[in-house]
Amino acid sequence: MQKEAPKIFKVDPKFKHELLKITGAEKIMLCFQCGTCTADCPVALRVNEFRPRQIVEDARLGLKETLFSGDTLWLCTGCYTCYERCPQDVKVTDMIAALRTLAVKEGYIHPSFRMLIDSMAKNGYIYEITDFENELRADMGLPAAPKVNLDEVSKIMKKTGLNKLTGITMEEG
Amino acid sequence: MAEALGVELVDMKGSGCCGTTYMESIDHKTGLAMAARNICIAEEMGLDIVTLCNGCFEVLTKVNKILKEEKKLRDEVNGVLIELNREFKGTVEVKHFVKMLVEDVGIDKIEGLIKRSFKGLKVAVHPGCHLLRPSDIMEFDDPEVPIFFDSLINVTGAQSVNYPNKLECCAAALLAVREELASKIALEKVATVKKYADIMVTSCPFCYLQYETSQITASESYDVSVIHLPQLLGLALGLNYEELALYENRIDTSKIKEFL
Repeated sequence: MQKEAPKIFKVDPKFKHELLKITGAEKIMLCFQCGTCTADCPVALRVNEFRPRQIVEDARLGLKETLFSGDTLWLCTGCYTCYERCPQDVKVTDMIAALRTLAVKEGYIHPSFRMLIDSMAKNGYIYEITDFENELRADMGLPAAPKVNLDEVSKIMKKTGLNKLTGITMEEG
Repeated sequence: MAEALGVELVDMKGSGCCGTTYMESIDHKTGLAMAARNICIAEEMGLDIVTLCNGCFEVLTKVNKILKEEKKLRDEVNGVLIELNREFKGTVEVKHFVKMLVEDVGIDKIEGLIKRSFKGLKVAVHPGCHLLRPSDIMEFDDPEVPIFFDSLINVTGAQSVNYPNKLECCAAALLAVREELASKIALEKVATVKKYADIMVTSCPFCYLQYETSQITASESYDVSVIHLPQLLGLALGLNYEELALYENRIDTSKIKEFL
């Protein structure tokens, strides 16, 4: 019988040090792999490939390719159930957000997230508030939604370098 | 509804989206600065912030807390805000309207103002994630056995019932990533609610939309009416159906109409 070829993982021991510096990911070395996060996760309950415990372990091993390819990292709803119940206070939800920022730095960004950021730059909201919504508000006797100071939004994005990081185009003005 | 309770709401000029958890997932510093810009506007007005949305509540509360406590991050963010001639000072609080109702208005006061009883109505509340979690940041109610949202239902004479998975996420945040999965998670809760209650009540507009839209787009019919908390509370305080825009709810509201 032919043996299955062993899987080759590209381990990067430096990766965890990069992750440990980001707010929210400081406690990943405390994880003892109990699996509470996975057991209580509404996504893991329905999606086999999404395993928060595995994400922590992959992050510590520096398995960047496993972590960054596909939509795994972007499946977290941010519900904070794992964060709330982790006996080691690992802050799993914040760690996944931190991993996303590292993925973005390497050019991996989920298309839906890019769209939302794009909308933020153009409208000052992730979902545009149009004349239609303001007419509905007027029908109810409510004033129009506050007009976003887009100049300020744009200045923040330029100063932090978000526009270059994500390749979004900024409104001039 | 705020007026009926003697609360004056003032719009924040120039404010916009805090970027939600999406922004902090892309770049942490931009996320902090985007939320801090909104907090600065409230600081300049000398007023606390009240949010209608659990997501805004979580992000603004978290950023407000982090920047108040950590000088290094505050200096970094103020280094960005100086471009806007703004500065985060840490002088205001951020509250969800549920928190405001409980802490600033008070359940006793609300009880005294009730004009219409919903006695006999069984309500499944969906507190949503960020009204409660992460509890070390939100510092509101018990994260595993919450009571405040339920008290606001019970004060109307209706009964807030317990049901399995009451604290589970609506998964609206996944709509843009995997729509089918997001709807599946939402519909499982709707099916549970149907067994235990007459209507579902939400405290967050994103959860509200998720439970309504997932039902409308589903192949089978659930007919679980989703009502936003200010609508139910507003009716109990004597406001009428039209004032509360209940005609905009897309699932039949006859279970509510029986009480009017």
